[in-house]
Amino acid sequence: MKVRQRLALILVLTATAAQAHVASNGFLDVEVRGRDLSGSIELAVRDVELAIGVDANRDGQVTWGELRAAEPQLAAYVAQHLSVGVADSACAVRLGSLQVNPRVDGNYAWLPFTARCPALVRELQIQYTMMAGIDPSHRGLLRLSAGSLVQTFVLGGADAPATLSVERSSPWRAIEQYFRAGTWHIWSGIDHLLFLLSLLLPAVLVRAHGRWEPVENARPALLSIVKVVTAFTLAHSITLSLAALNVVHLPSRLTESVIAASIIVAALNNIFPAVTESRARIAFAFGLLHGFGFASVLADMGLPSGARLLSLVAFNCGIEAGQLALVLAVMPIAYAVRRVSAYRRAVLPWGSAAIASLALVWFIQRAFLAQ
Amino acid sequence: MMSQSVLQGCRRPRIVRGRRAAAVVLALALVATAGATPYVPGNDAEVLAHLPAGATHASIQLRHQAVQRRDVALPLAQFYVSQARATGDLRFLGYAEGVLAPWLQRSPPDPAALVLQATVLQSRHSFDAALNELDRALRARPDDAQAWVTRATVLRVLGRYDEAELSCERLIAGDAAVAQLCTQSLRALSGHLHSAYQAVRQLPQQSLSVAARAWRYSQLGEMAQSLGDERAASHWFVECLQLAPDDLYTRAAYADLLLQQGRAVDTLELLKGFESMEPMLLRMAIAQRQLNDPQLPETRALLANAFAVEEQRNEAVHRREQARFLLDVEAQPSAALAAARQNWQVQREPADLLILLRAAHAAHQNGAAAAAAQFANLHAIEDVRLRPYLEPAP
Repeated sequence: MKVRQRLALILVLTATAAQAHVASNGFLDVEVRGRDLSGSIELAVRDVELAIGVDANRDGQVTWGELRAAEPQLAAYVAQHLSVGVADSACAVRLGSLQVNPRVDGNYAWLPFTARCPALVRELQIQYTMMAGIDPSHRGLLRLSAGSLVQTFVLGGADAPATLSVERSSPWRAIEQYFRAGTWHIWSGIDHLLFLLSLLLPAVLVRAHGRWEPVENARPALLSIVKVVTAFTLAHSITLSLAALNVVHLPSRLTESVIAASIIVAALNNIFPAVTESRARIAFAFGLLHGFGFASVLADMGLPSGARLLSLVAFNCGIEAGQLALVLAVMPIAYAVRRVSAYRRAVLPWGSAAIASLALVWFIQRAFLAQ
Repeated sequence: MMSQSVLQGCRRPRIVRGRRAAAVVLALALVATAGATPYVPGNDAEVLAHLPAGATHASIQLRHQAVQRRDVALPLAQFYVSQARATGDLRFLGYAEGVLAPWLQRSPPDPAALVLQATVLQSRHSFDAALNELDRALRARPDDAQAWVTRATVLRVLGRYDEAELSCERLIAGDAAVAQLCTQSLRALSGHLHSAYQAVRQLPQQSLSVAARAWRYSQLGEMAQSLGDERAASHWFVECLQLAPDDLYTRAAYADLLLQQGRAVDTLELLKGFESMEPMLLRMAIAQRQLNDPQLPETRALLANAFAVEEQRNEAVHRREQARFLLDVEAQPSAALAAARQNWQVQREPADLLILLRAAHAAHQNGAAAAAAQFANLHAIEDVRLRPYLEPAP
């Protein structure tokens, strides 16, 4: 019986083992000084055996004598599987003499090296293919230092970086990434934008005699936009910060549902106006909930321990920038066409109706169908 | 009821690494590795490494053959997978992947290779990827018992019990007793602990292979432990380990039971010789801490190094162990909670639930485990160990 034959594996599987041992890693330490590099490369003695074969007497153990005898082959292997370069031309690498580094997980073959690059090293290109064809899970753990800047990278594998910047840019890069994530989030999660849009569409109008009338000049429109955007920003900044810093936590199903509901309210308010003068209050009240929504994105990303506050601010600024882009893209047009009756009779009510229906679908999904 | 742990290959794009838990572990690891300096051995006879079976250069020739020959590739990959499981040596998972790679690149890919690859992925905690490979294999071979049982295991780890049960049912045609074990182990987690325990107790021992017997004992031990019957649990675990001393899962579960009973000395005795495995080492550290053992600093350093290396590789196979390490050895509840929450995103076994609830409780942030408590209530998970954390405080 087929099942029986495979039972051994089946059961081992189900009782999945507690695993241990670290996976296969090489350690690469590189220090950059102008055009010169220095540092060391390390491979576990076990990995060296697999790569080039050093256990000459095949007794199942590798001695220092055996490893030392294989030093030329090891040097050739390293040369073949590690190359460093600047602007597509290789740096000339010189390996020093072999030593042994006793790490907690076993002994490593340790080779010091120096290299001279063809140009000043601003971006280093590293090709690392150690253990290729033997152990696809092998990784090179790189410690790259330049002056007081120390960075770590993981080499090998599909998503290894091709070029590494050695300039002092990493804190800024993190901030930039959080800023971009903020911008990206507000544009990709269009629920926040639709909420804001619903509140902003009537900003170029004024309610008079039970009807929407175009504003006379830019001043009241501008004022209304600024009020709404400021209220929304203030509100979601507060809750985003509270949630990101683990002060308050709301279940995401609740916040996501209420965010959808907020869009319905804001959109319906344009068709059956209840709040016309102080839409900023709606913006503030629901903005608090939207802040929790932003926070869930941030929770997935995590905040870097060294720069929590800074990254939080960057993320929030990214959101503001995304918002501002919407305002700048839409509101001048809305202002220009405010006197066209179609804006008041069609765009505003039917656009709002469309937004409300979409939000209703989201609401049902999030409140009742979500897992 | 513990580690489904192996290594996680899942590479979620993380914008910035370095979380709180990581920082703590990294700091410890720096202490741990600070002493290492390269040297030139004075004696040619000094032994630098012992090579485990299957990890010598001589095996490379076999691997070359495996590229062309299926009858070499599949047994070799299976050998590496079982080596990884029996010894806890993660490198073997990589070797298995290396052997399987050419067979997965063919079109259509080899179904047996897909199932083995799924096992490797599961061991790395890439559960979604593992399910994906299994579904591909099952499309080609809908009756593959190995694929169904692996699928049931992965879904169980993910807390998707209903789907897991459907996979168990596909085993009935092949081996009804194994299907029973598979199904009852799920029912035990979803509100039917008592009846599942009875059902597995009544499974006739003679109808089972040795491996299935060991599995049955292990399941009985876990169920008894969930029921709070420590004596019975102890009995079943011992029976299991007599049949299958290599069953690391049960050994760790038994160690947890001993620790729970305050039997630190017995724990160390049980785990002697398993020091190279992180989950075992973790339990040794907890026992050593209880005993004020002078070995503790060394054990801590070893664990911290292992966690730090995983962290540096962007992997988190042992996140559950890391959380427990931070909570029970380092006494850092907040960092433990952070790790336990990350772990909960990946796997949802009762042990994952327990560490999350314990860490949240210790960090005075019971709200942080709200989703997990909801999960426990939803599935009506019964376990005396969870009870103090699930009941509302008086």
